[in-house]
Amino acid sequence: MVGQHRKGVEERRVYWTMVSPALFLYLLVFGFPIVISVVISLSDYRGGKMFGGEPWRIAGFQEYARLAVDSYFWLALKNNVYIVIVSIFGQLPLGLIFAYLIYRRIVKLGQFWQGVLYVPAIISVIVIGIMWNIIFSPYGPLADVMNQAYSAGFGRRVDAIFSAAGGFHITDNVLQQLVAAGGDTAQKLFAHPVADLKEMLQGYSPNQFVEAKHDIVNLLAPKWSAAFLTKRDLAMIPICFVVLWVWTGMYLILFLANMQRIDVQVIEAARIDGANEMQTVWRVMLPMLSGVVVNAAILCIAGSLNSFALVFAMTGGGPARVTQLLSIYMYDSAFMGAPNYPRANAIALAIVIFSLILIGLTKMVEKRYGGRE
Amino acid sequence: MERSDRTTLFGRIASVFGKAVAYLVMGTFTLMTVYPIFWLILNSFKSTPEYRINRIGLPHVFTLANYPGAWQIGEFNKLVVNSFVYTIGATLGIIFFATLAGFAFAKLKSRATGPIYSSFVIGILLSIQSLMVPIFIEVSQLDRLIGDFLRILGLRQLGTFNLLYNGRLGVLLIYIGSGLPIAIYLCTEFIKGIPDSLVEVARIDGAGYYTIFWQVILPMAVPIATTVAILNVTNIWNEFALINILVSKTELKSMPLGIFRFTGSMSSDYGKQFAALTIGLAPMLVFYIIFRKQITRGVFSGAIKG
Repeated sequence: MVGQHRKGVEERRVYWTMVSPALFLYLLVFGFPIVISVVISLSDYRGGKMFGGEPWRIAGFQEYARLAVDSYFWLALKNNVYIVIVSIFGQLPLGLIFAYLIYRRIVKLGQFWQGVLYVPAIISVIVIGIMWNIIFSPYGPLADVMNQAYSAGFGRRVDAIFSAAGGFHITDNVLQQLVAAGGDTAQKLFAHPVADLKEMLQGYSPNQFVEAKHDIVNLLAPKWSAAFLTKRDLAMIPICFVVLWVWTGMYLILFLANMQRIDVQVIEAARIDGANEMQTVWRVMLPMLSGVVVNAAILCIAGSLNSFALVFAMTGGGPARVTQLLSIYMYDSAFMGAPNYPRANAIALAIVIFSLILIGLTKMVEKRYGGRE
Repeated sequence: MERSDRTTLFGRIASVFGKAVAYLVMGTFTLMTVYPIFWLILNSFKSTPEYRINRIGLPHVFTLANYPGAWQIGEFNKLVVNSFVYTIGATLGIIFFATLAGFAFAKLKSRATGPIYSSFVIGILLSIQSLMVPIFIEVSQLDRLIGDFLRILGLRQLGTFNLLYNGRLGVLLIYIGSGLPIAIYLCTEFIKGIPDSLVEVARIDGAGYYTIFWQVILPMAVPIATTVAILNVTNIWNEFALINILVSKTELKSMPLGIFRFTGSMSSDYGKQFAALTIGLAPMLVFYIIFRKQITRGVFSGAIKG
């Protein structure tokens, strides 16, 4: 009895020695910060020493009340919801489709596609954010490609207009057509488009059509401007695209690995019984994968609330805060300008609660519609 | 016998057509994935003036001149050392503390296991980035408290005291803590699979729990430790949000912070910017090419959770 008891004491001592370092670090990173954010979000603390510095006190829920009527907060929340939606309804289906194509050997070289599509997930999101920011910028490669296409199209219009006019003849009718073909480019460029263009074109000799056309195209071709750079409602499109671009490969690998655990004979049997490929996916494959899909959805939610660094590097929440996320609003509140720690911490808690609600919803959906595994 | 639709002419045409669509979709997506990265690396070999007139094509003049400049401006010689210190240090720390706690959870009996273990599992779902502001406050206030305490003891003069904020220790502790939940989950589940009899036999032979941990459990846990390491190496090497608020001195910064410097005033010097971005993506690309199989397996096991 005594020996047994001593053995229990030793086991308990060893247990706590082994668990406490991890527990301490866990509390340092998750436990205390949550307590701190609850306390500070309810306080009027503005920085400086918390203990023995300028006095601060608990002020109540006023910061939450302010957030509830703060349009920037709701905008940030809306943008976060966009990313969650794109993640769940973009990454997951695409990942599933690609995984299925490889699993059923509908496309060959599975290892190759899988290996390549995962590459973005191992690259720093800072690199990715800056890269796509350059690509989407008004003077970036995307604008180049689009402008070249616009110029080529406009060049064909110019050819058509002159050949209809029977050669390089500058008549008012031709000039009007040229101005009209370029959209509003001529209006922006000239005070009197037709007259000014006429004056310019009279400087070319009749055999200089090629040069004249080149200059007309350069001057008057419509310029491409990305709607998502100018319209605030569309500003999240590039970010959602990049989110899809980065993470789809990860879900491909996840689904493929789980599909490969399914007995091929089950699928073959369904096919022999006359089910087509789509029916096999819906009736046989998806029910067997439902647990994995739910876990992937949860991963998606947690991941999309973690898109801070990507958006921080890509747009920084701009222009004019239209691509702001909750985490960026939180960061700005604490570290940009005069710190507003109560607000930053209230947002932090809002993110935690928001993610828990979404995860709870996912679990509920699973309970309701979940298949047999 | 029922005829499969593959045997009819219509079925065969549909199947070929379906294959073509499948290849097209797969190929387009893959091209969209690879080409921007390829384009980025290619542009690092163009001078800035050339980039301005030739944004898409191959470089007419192939130059390496962007690299020394980018390396110097980013102060990457310091940052790369730090990145290695943080990545290796935190990864080893995570593996050690996670296997230790995993052993206790899996093989030692305690009523505390239930609540503690499930709180770790909940931690997997909490996004650490959402806690960066309270973590910053915690770390800087702890430094002040420790500094004041040392001053009272007469061990330090006045002045700011940095141990956790702007300190390697702070970064390492936060990284280890944030990697622990998933690592502990994976290690505990793995160690549960090691037969109890192995531990019991060693106990009867008179081995202490620590000896059993070092000589029985750790050698058997190498596969899961590898998975945990692979998961964490890329995460920690690429981590930005936390180190961005934990460190302000260049001497302590990591690679992603150095690359981020190329966004603001530097962003018009495209040549150097592309070189910096290439420097930023190269290490993990090489790591991925070498350890692709293990990384893929890591993603898989990291994602199957209860």
